[in-house]
Amino acid sequence: MIVMLNIYEAERANKIKSIIVVAGFIVFVGLTVYVLSQALGYYWGYQVGGLGGVGLALIISGLISYGGYYFSDRIVLTISGAKEANRKEYFDFYTVSENLAIGAGLPKPKLYVIDDSAPNAFATGRDPKHAVICATTGLIDKLSRTELEGVLAHELSHVRNYDTRLQSLVAVMVGLIALLGDWLLRARLWGGRDRDRNDNQLGSIILVLGIVFAILSPIIAQLIQLAISRRREFMADTGSVALTRQPGGLISALEKISKDTEPLEVANKATAHLYIINPFKGVNDPEHRRGVDRFASLFNTHPPIEERLKALYDMSYEKPHKG
Amino acid sequence: MIIYLVIFLAVLVLWVISVYNFFVSSRTRIKASIQEIGNQLKRQADLIPNLEESVKGYLGHEKGIFEELTNARKAISQASKSGDVGKMADAGKMLSEVLPKIQVVVESNPELKGAEVVTNLMDELRDTSDKVMYARRLLIDLTADFNVKRVTFPSSLVANLFKISEQEGLNAPEKGEHLEVSESDTKTPKVNL
Repeated sequence: MIVMLNIYEAERANKIKSIIVVAGFIVFVGLTVYVLSQALGYYWGYQVGGLGGVGLALIISGLISYGGYYFSDRIVLTISGAKEANRKEYFDFYTVSENLAIGAGLPKPKLYVIDDSAPNAFATGRDPKHAVICATTGLIDKLSRTELEGVLAHELSHVRNYDTRLQSLVAVMVGLIALLGDWLLRARLWGGRDRDRNDNQLGSIILVLGIVFAILSPIIAQLIQLAISRRREFMADTGSVALTRQPGGLISALEKISKDTEPLEVANKATAHLYIINPFKGVNDPEHRRGVDRFASLFNTHPPIEERLKALYDMSYEKPHKG
Repeated sequence: MIIYLVIFLAVLVLWVISVYNFFVSSRTRIKASIQEIGNQLKRQADLIPNLEESVKGYLGHEKGIFEELTNARKAISQASKSGDVGKMADAGKMLSEVLPKIQVVVESNPELKGAEVVTNLMDELRDTSDKVMYARRLLIDLTADFNVKRVTFPSSLVANLFKISEQEGLNAPEKGEHLEVSESDTKTPKVNL
């Protein structure tokens, strides 16, 4: 059975799901920070100490991520060794991006090219005015204009949805939890004031809870962060179709890119979530994934390619190819 | 008690202001997107003389194409000056009908096909058609957003309060040639390979 989804319905459904995941994340962060600050306050002997710890952790985590956020465009471009694309040499890349920006009502993003034959692309920048879209020469060479349109519309949707901003905020929260948890565990190791407080039953409950949270919450926070990242990929796919009104372009582009076996040399773990498709090729290979599937997919920055294709086919009249 | 009332009223006023501002600013954006269509059409019109110049010698017995091109160009520059969305759409269509014919001429003349000027021009023209298409898409999307907000609750209350009228957008005429299906349209097109 083919479920035809109207593009507006699809966009709406995606938005709601994304809001749910982000809201869940906020609730989780709030709860964790509360428990950890209570436990820390207990160790340091006074309530304000816990709150002060939260403030300090927020500042540290914020500073680390803010730099990454504010200079996201320049940092990533320097790491990847990208150079600016000119209109004459990369006519299709340049003009298609220009056209899509007209269609989305956004300023034209800055365009960069990475000299690498593995087909891939990413978008970054703190807001649409500082947006950067970067494509590899492999992508530009291997895709047709229509396919390129689908991929670039996906990237432009990331820009329109402020995904760089969202991911940075999420990173601040994940960093905050990691710091607090770390401090609590250290405070326990170094003793602190707990020895003369063992009679307090409420205190010991808070402490046990705090330690459980300190150990588990950084992992859980990271898992939710990845879930948000995957959700935003689906959202960008839908946004791409809303912009081009032809799912076929993105579908065949994704099929082509995922079948390409070359790994992207300039990608690393820090930049992986930015790309249109996970740049570490093993993860896109169904054979490789079968054994570990469900559990391993929790740790992916991108949804499995088949799920993305299925969602796209639901929006188009075409039927998936068999085999 | 009073304080809650004040907060409620303040939130309400802020909300009315933000909805009102949405209508006003998106009206401006709609106007700008119409100008963008005109802009792109004008660019297209400016490219045509260059194209004519470079394929002139090869058109030979297909002088008809030449005339069609000139007409399309005239229509486009008129439409882009008039700022009338309907005229713009028609003019754009005229050109998109001629372009494939020129494409055929270019493909069948190895000399033309090899000339970088001609392929560049054809690329540019096709790209400008895309730009016109995307500019129109923006107009359609903005108009749809505007009109949906205008009639859905609760923003409809604000729209009624300030008597905000519906945006026409591309305003496809409800009667006309494009809605009729002529006999030739129902036949399967013949493709000679």
